[in-house]
Amino acid sequence: MNPGPDETATATRLRAQIAAQFGRSLHIRTLDTGSCAVCEQEIRLLSAPHYDLHRLGFFFTPAPRHADLLLVTGPMVRAFTLAARKAYEAMPGPKVVVATGACALGGVYRPDPFVHGTVDAVLPVDVWIPGCPPSPLALLNGLGVAVGRLAEKTPGLTFIAGGDRS
Amino acid sequence: MPLWFIRGLRRGVVTTRYPARPDASATALPTPPAFRPGKLTRELADRMISVCPGPALSRADGNLIFDAGACTACGRCALAAPDAVTPTGEFELATTDRAALVKMIPILGEER
Amino acid sequence: MTAVEPRATGRTRDQLVSSLAGLGSLHAERRGVVTVRIPAEALEPATHAAAGNPGVRLADMFAEGSQEASPQAAGATADSDATVLRLVWAHEADEPGYIITETEIEDEHYPPLSDIAPAAFVEECEIYEQFGIRPAGGKPLNRVMLPPHNGIELPTLGHRPGEPPAEVHAPHVVGGQAFEFPFGPVRQVGVESLYYGLVTSGEEVVDLYLFTWHKHRGVEWRLRGKTMHEAIRLAERTEGLSAVATGWAFAAAAEAAAGVAPPAAAARTRAVALELERLYNHAAATAALCQATGLSVGQSAAEIALERLLRVNAATFGHRYLFGVIEPGGVSRAPDAEALRRELPGAYGELLRATDALLRTNSFVDRLEACGVLTAEQASRLGLVGPVARATGLATDARRAPVAAGGPYTEIPVNIVTAQSGDVFARFQVMLGEAAESVRLVMEFLGGGTAAACNLVPPRASTGLGWAESPRGEVLAWVALDEDGRVTRARLRPGSVRNWRGFDDACRSQNVFTDIPIIEASFWLTAAGMAR
Repeated sequence: MNPGPDETATATRLRAQIAAQFGRSLHIRTLDTGSCAVCEQEIRLLSAPHYDLHRLGFFFTPAPRHADLLLVTGPMVRAFTLAARKAYEAMPGPKVVVATGACALGGVYRPDPFVHGTVDAVLPVDVWIPGCPPSPLALLNGLGVAVGRLAEKTPGLTFIAGGDRS
Repeated sequence: MPLWFIRGLRRGVVTTRYPARPDASATALPTPPAFRPGKLTRELADRMISVCPGPALSRADGNLIFDAGACTACGRCALAAPDAVTPTGEFELATTDRAALVKMIPILGEER
Repeated sequence: MTAVEPRATGRTRDQLVSSLAGLGSLHAERRGVVTVRIPAEALEPATHAAAGNPGVRLADMFAEGSQEASPQAAGATADSDATVLRLVWAHEADEPGYIITETEIEDEHYPPLSDIAPAAFVEECEIYEQFGIRPAGGKPLNRVMLPPHNGIELPTLGHRPGEPPAEVHAPHVVGGQAFEFPFGPVRQVGVESLYYGLVTSGEEVVDLYLFTWHKHRGVEWRLRGKTMHEAIRLAERTEGLSAVATGWAFAAAAEAAAGVAPPAAAARTRAVALELERLYNHAAATAALCQATGLSVGQSAAEIALERLLRVNAATFGHRYLFGVIEPGGVSRAPDAEALRRELPGAYGELLRATDALLRTNSFVDRLEACGVLTAEQASRLGLVGPVARATGLATDARRAPVAAGGPYTEIPVNIVTAQSGDVFARFQVMLGEAAESVRLVMEFLGGGTAAACNLVPPRASTGLGWAESPRGEVLAWVALDEDGRVTRARLRPGSVRNWRGFDDACRSQNVFTDIPIIEASFWLTAAGMAR
């Protein structure tokens, strides 16, 4: 069943409204699906003096009911699938899922009996942040993109030297 | 407690202004590669694909396929083919479109 | 702080090796590692001989299945269905080094080794899940890597066990009224997934056990068939906070197998990276201790130091967490020595100022003292390693055992830091002492000269043991390679595998719930290193 033009317009307006709200005050919950522990260390540094995510209106919360954004690391170990789904479903909508790090994006572990290999095999991902690990600056960039405050650079990057960028 | 308060004041502010202003520490971060099509031969492409520890590099239809999302910026491709690779210096890679992280780079002299 | 040296009463290393060889046969002796083949019927007396020696510690126990048995394995032929059981003993008194016993186990049972050496218990559980062999005597075994729910069929390294360990956790004796409170695996913000079963009568911790199967990525399984060059990037991500140590141990195992060593300048480069890794980990542990005790100001101060140290890593080695430095045969990057000499003192000074202030903050020190106490006897019985063991007075450090003749720590020996009280405060003191020592070592190694260089590791069918002292303790790696240099069996034993088993002992005895995060910070382990 496809949304009609009125519904699409409403959805777009709602999305903009949500982004505006999240852009002013966003509560983040973290979820480790099997990382090597380094992504978590970079995430912890977001609240450290050098980065201080609070000045941007971002906050960490351990309470899923309070959270707006789920920051997910790791290659989604299969034995963790149920816990991951429960963590996601415990968050009320509207919510955003951000897959962070090469493991979560499929770069380190291929799908096999132990791991799914990517977070989006189990959860609906809205934003992907590459890096191994993504530095706190890259994480801040990703959070800014997630709430619509920062424009994405990736579509414009060619990774060709001497091309449009770098 | 006065000990901490005084020390804190004396230490001053270390907080970055990012994203409002660029942060100088970003220049030391490892970043994914950019490729030089003018130097990218099939042989170099294959050499890079074989040293890449993950699935970030592959080849199809005369193109090197680079998945910047899968890249760990380990630098092995740059070591294997220094003429064909240069660091991008890009760390602001977050995207709402996973496919936007997969790029095609034309291989020298290949039919496409 | 005088260290309690492991006493070799009765037997020197040579005497122990002779008595073991008398029970079986001496197989190989290379660069600090002696391998003795012990027949199955002599395994129990051999274990008594080793375990009964105060200067000897059980460092690891693992198995190798017959389908991928290396040609070096004790008599195993392609037809044999035997599993080869290896025990790795660390000899720490005179001539620090390792003794490996290899035993071919034909049927499902082997002697109850954890009755002789309690340190073997977790490994017995792991071996049962992976290879289907278990100690005789019917002792209940815990699940370690296998999740206790259905629907997950995981490949094993050897024969699947006849019945999976039905016991989720071995029964523990609980006095009085107590209930079990499951906590996790999704816990507070920014920490790894980890499941605790907390047994409590209210506030007091009666017992505590951990599960890490939800993070089990099957690293040892996944490394099979890979060349060392392909495998090392995955190996260093087993426990990313010990990437240098794990990568070094793994590379050293392959180098030992091939009979090569890295160039001296590359070995010094490895040591510089390892000490930088130790420094940032101890800063991170300090920040975690402050967070656990609710001292936000201290946490911020420690985090400033940590960030500066990570930036030193990035500036000198190109990666904040030092990934990608170690390669088989050497290192791929050399530090920018000038930048390191310039930046490190300032970053370390930041840490020193923060920790000086912490040591003068009574409300902080009070939370740490007499919290999470471990005795030297417990540490020794459980085979604990790293700052956790050194804080009880044991002078155990893998840097004492030379990796190769003329390895970097032979030229510049480490002053081992120990403490006596075995509590959180003692562990904190050990970390502070080690941080100072690491800065000294970095400067000395830079003085000796560092370089990005690799020696070729020729492919050869052989086996080898490698080790390194990670920030959380000794990492061991053992590889069996085929004639193409591909892994047939890789064993990775990060320090976390050893030390998590001491965590419940430390959390018991008059500790309450709010002490648990403090004790966890003082251990500074990872779930990833245990789960791999």
